[in-house]
Amino acid sequence: MKQLSEILKEVAFGSLSSGEAEMVIGWQKGPFWWQSFPAFITDPGGTGSLIWDPFSVSNLSKYLLKEVPEKKIALFLKGCDALGFNQMLRDGRVDREKVLLFGIPCDGLVDPARVEAAGLSKGLLQVKKEQEELIFYYKKGQRKAPARDFYYAKCLSCRYPNPVIYDQMLGEAVPCQPVERFADVSKLETTPLEERFSYWSRHFSRCIRCFACRNVCPACSCRECIFDLAEPRWLGKANELSETQFYHITRAYHVAGRCVDCGECARICPVGIPLAELNRKFIKDINELYGEYDAGADLDKEAPLLTFKTDDPDVSSGS
Amino acid sequence: MPVNLKLQSFEPLIIAFCCNWCSYAGGDLAGTSRMTYPANVRVIRVPCSSRVSSNFILRAFQRGADGVVVAGCHPGDCHYTSGNYFARRRFLLLQRFLEFLGMEPERFQVHWISASEGNRFAAVMTETTDKIRALGPNRKLRDTR
Ligand code: SF4
Ligand code: SF4
Ligand code: SF4
Ligand code: FES
Repeated sequence: MKQLSEILKEVAFGSLSSGEAEMVIGWQKGPFWWQSFPAFITDPGGTGSLIWDPFSVSNLSKYLLKEVPEKKIALFLKGCDALGFNQMLRDGRVDREKVLLFGIPCDGLVDPARVEAAGLSKGLLQVKKEQEELIFYYKKGQRKAPARDFYYAKCLSCRYPNPVIYDQMLGEAVPCQPVERFADVSKLETTPLEERFSYWSRHFSRCIRCFACRNVCPACSCRECIFDLAEPRWLGKANELSETQFYHITRAYHVAGRCVDCGECARICPVGIPLAELNRKFIKDINELYGEYDAGADLDKEAPLLTFKTDDPDVSSGS
Repeated sequence: MPVNLKLQSFEPLIIAFCCNWCSYAGGDLAGTSRMTYPANVRVIRVPCSSRVSSNFILRAFQRGADGVVVAGCHPGDCHYTSGNYFARRRFLLLQRFLEFLGMEPERFQVHWISASEGNRFAAVMTETTDKIRALGPNRKLRDTR
């Protein structure tokens, strides 16, 4: 990945020094091996600190909502980020003319939790990726392991590793070998009702309602979110299961038909609630009922909930 | 047998969101034709079935509804041409989602009832009430405070 890291610095420098872009959003290394933070750079001299490494996981396009550029903002998009960007475009939340997109083909990023679980994190200084392998650097010596063993769940089921939208692609397209993504949903669908209810209650009761899953989501770009409204106050503040249920049903329902399945919500959740299963239930049902649809993949395709057919399957009258 | 006694005396609360142009008028017709349907049903008039957002449905359950019904014009007959077609997709997804979370599918129903179907209105409400009564009180999305 070293090479790509160099190219990334070059194009960032180029777009700032030529004046085409007024800001570059990229990733920068934090003090620890697992930290690759979003970086906002306006001075061409600062582009040397930009990196691309196995931890460059955050989707940078959501930050576009916070910046109002006069010229353009340049940013880097991985495959999943590109789907999210497209959805924001479709929702009218970003201006295509105001961005300069550098696409990064990405075959997977490393979940620090898996490194820790494998007992490799003690004294770890740096992790690098070379071909299909990760190299773990310690004070004394190094270790190697197959990279795929450490990838995020969202990367293992990724279906669009190569960005679907970009101005310039920085690298060769990577092959894609996703694992089945609906397995967990299908399994839950066949468990008894009461078991399912307690499964979700167990998870929901751990939710601290930090809203990180909403904040990170490229489909959650509403100027005014229902969860922030004081009047009417749809979502209360109390630590009460029914409020959390309201939150989760509403969040997942609002992104139904727009969720690009980028996996960011599940990744960001501090308590590990399997949010992907909620989103994927909607995706699976939409695919089954109204035809295959991949949000963010094809902007010309009609969104399933913004249209209908007169012979759609009927709703249940409860029998 | 206090438990059984309590069960027998359980009367469900059912919230019915009825479209002004059809089902609400259907309910009216049932009334003026002197048909009876259970007093468990509380009707809330809405301009169209597509006006009913998930917020209304969830709030009803939170505040004590044992069942929620959305009733609208038959597909093809919506006063606003296509509202119920959009609603049909949204509600079907919501129904399947609530069931996925462990909610009994009977608790949230959607029916198409026209203004001339007073008898159907009464029949649907009676049948729904019986079903929900048999299921017992809903605790699943209820606010426990
Ligand atoms: S990120 Fe997790 S804890 Fe935070 S609101 Fe979402 S589900 Fe709840
Ligand atoms: S709901 Fe989650 S998976 Fe879907 S677009 Fe939002 S962050 Fe990505
Ligand atoms: S939760 Fe709903 S209202 Fe809030 S940002 Fe997401 S889509 Fe918008
Ligand atoms: S007006 Fe009755 S469903 Fe739309």
